[in-house]
This record gives sequence, C-alpha cells and structure tokens, in this order.
Amino acid sequence: MAIGDYPKEYNAAVHGPYDPARYYGKPDTPFGQLKLNEIGSWFGRRNKTPAAMVGACSRAWWRWQHKYMQPKKVGIAPFLQLLVGSMTFFYVINYGKLKHHRNYKYH
Amino acid sequence: MLSRIALRSAISKQSASTALVARTSSTDIAGVRDEKNFPRPVRALEPGKVRLGFLPEEWFQFFHSKTGVTGPYTFGVGLATYLCSKEIYVMEHEYYTGLSLLIMVYIAAKKFGPSLAAWLDKEVDAVENSWNEGRNQTIKDLEEAIEDEKTAQWRAQGQELLVEAKKENVLLQLEAAYRERLMNAYNEVKRRLDYQLEKTNLERRMAQKHMVEWIVLNVTKAITPDQEKQNLDRCISDLAALAVRK
Repeated sequence: MAIGDYPKEYNAAVHGPYDPARYYGKPDTPFGQLKLNEIGSWFGRRNKTPAAMVGACSRAWWRWQHKYMQPKKVGIAPFLQLLVGSMTFFYVINYGKLKHHRNYKYH
Repeated sequence: MLSRIALRSAISKQSASTALVARTSSTDIAGVRDEKNFPRPVRALEPGKVRLGFLPEEWFQFFHSKTGVTGPYTFGVGLATYLCSKEIYVMEHEYYTGLSLLIMVYIAAKKFGPSLAAWLDKEVDAVENSWNEGRNQTIKDLEEAIEDEKTAQWRAQGQELLVEAKKENVLLQLEAAYRERLMNAYNEVKRRLDYQLEKTNLERRMAQKHMVEWIVLNVTKAITPDQEKQNLDRCISDLAALAVRK
C-alpha cells in the first residue's frame, strides 16, 4: 500500500463507494465498551505503524467532517469546535512561555 | 542457479503487475456488494447536536447515565476551577482579550446568527436546486417522452381501428360495385331480350301485314270481269229476293 492508495481491506465490489470516515478492517470491540482489565490487551492488538496512526487520524477527521462540517444545514458549531481546539492546542504548545505570566507564587 | 534467479525475477515481475492491476481497476476484483453492512454513504441534512455552542451532545449523554443532568456541567466548572486555581490555566493579558472576543462573538452570533443562517440555507437550497435543475429537467423530459410515446401507441391503435373501418368501407364499396354491375348485366340482358322480342313481334306483324296485302292483292287480281259481273248479278238477285220478301 503506497501513499494515496485505498486501505488493503477496502474492496470496491463489496463495499461500494469509498467512505474515508470508515474503517474497512475487521472491527474490534469499541473502546467505550471495554472492561478496565481488557484495555491493555486492546492496545496490544492495535496496529501502531505510522501509516495506521495517520489513517486513524484521517478517519477521525472525516468522521468529524461528515458529522459537523459537511451536513447541509451546518451551524456555527464546527467553527467554534475548531476555534476551541486550536486555542487549546496553541495554549499547550505555548505553555512553556505562558507559565511565566503566573500571578501567584503559592497555590 | 541461473534458472532460480530467472524464476525469482519472473515472480517479482508478476506481483508488481498484479499490484498495479489491483490499484487501478477496482471492477476486476470479485465480490458481492454488501448493501446491508456497507450502505452507500449519504450526506446528512442536520449536523450533530451540540450544547454550549460546541460540546457534542454525546459527551453529555455519556455523563447522564452516571451523574445525571448537572454532572457534565459540574465537571466542566470543577475542571475550570481546578485549572484556574492551580494556575495551570494562566490568566494573562490574552485571557482578557479572549474574554472580550468571546463576548463579541456571542453577541454577534445571537444577533446576526439566525438571519445569516436563513440566508445561507436559502443560498444552499438555491445552489442545490441549480445543480439538480438539469437532472430534474432531463427526468421530466424523459417522462414526457414516455407519455408521448404511450399516446402515440394509443393513436397507432386508433389507426388500426381506422384502417379496419377503411377496409370495411372498401369491402362495402366493392359489394356495391358488384351489385351495381350485376344489376347492369341484368338490365342489359333484359334490354337485349326485349329488343329481340320487339323485333320478333315486329317481323311477325310485318309478315302478317305483307301476307294479308299480298293475299288481298292476288285475290283482287284473280277476280276476272266475269266473276265480277256474276257477283254483281248475284247481288242484284239477292237484293231482289230481299225486296220481294219484304
């Protein structure tokens, strides 16, 4: 699988038009339905290659797009989500500088 | 040794080509379309629900079963309090800028949001209609063409009826012509027979007339003066006899 290819599991004859938000491999138990003692083995089963991680991020991005950004009657919510997300992101990456602006010595 | 290298290169060549085929043509791959588990993706009409402008509804549902309605809010306020109190979130000058910006964004969203949303929805509908217009027009045209075709077929059936009627008409005309000719033949034959009858009658009459004339002529020619005199005498004697008897 080279860059720009469909995932190996995707078969156009069976799956129809490609949905970038969808995982075409064999589905595992959703993370939300795990017991605490299963979390370790669940992470053990994950594919941790860079390509798979990028694929997971891509699917998450498209799921968000399909749910909030792409519907016909889209509101302000996805823009506010982007705003809050970018604010958080930039706050975290700038935290090393921002923490010098603390007003109190003792907490 | 050499043959083994050749085999290996052939295998590698083959796998490269099959990979290319798999990548470029999706129709060659076998399989039955699974519509149930992999339905065709459809664009949603309404976006996912959010609260407070950006927090997904699912987040609140996740809390709801464990903490009730106020749980997520309490969590949010508690987290914010913790972050502020420990100065993990530092309220420097940008915080107040952000606060004022947030107020402005809130007021703008409340004031202009609904009208902007209505206008945008209208524009979206207009764009979608303009995109669908050609397609709908084509569908309408094709449906009209089908209707026209059905009407044409109906008319063609009418034409069949008409042709049937015309054929019947022609048969009637043929019958009429036949009868007319039959009558004509009858009349002609009758005329000729009448002619023959008339002619025969005439000939007979003429012959009779001639015969009578001829007989009278010959009879008168055959009467000699003696006979005439004798006859006259006889007449006179008859008259005399008649006169005596009176």
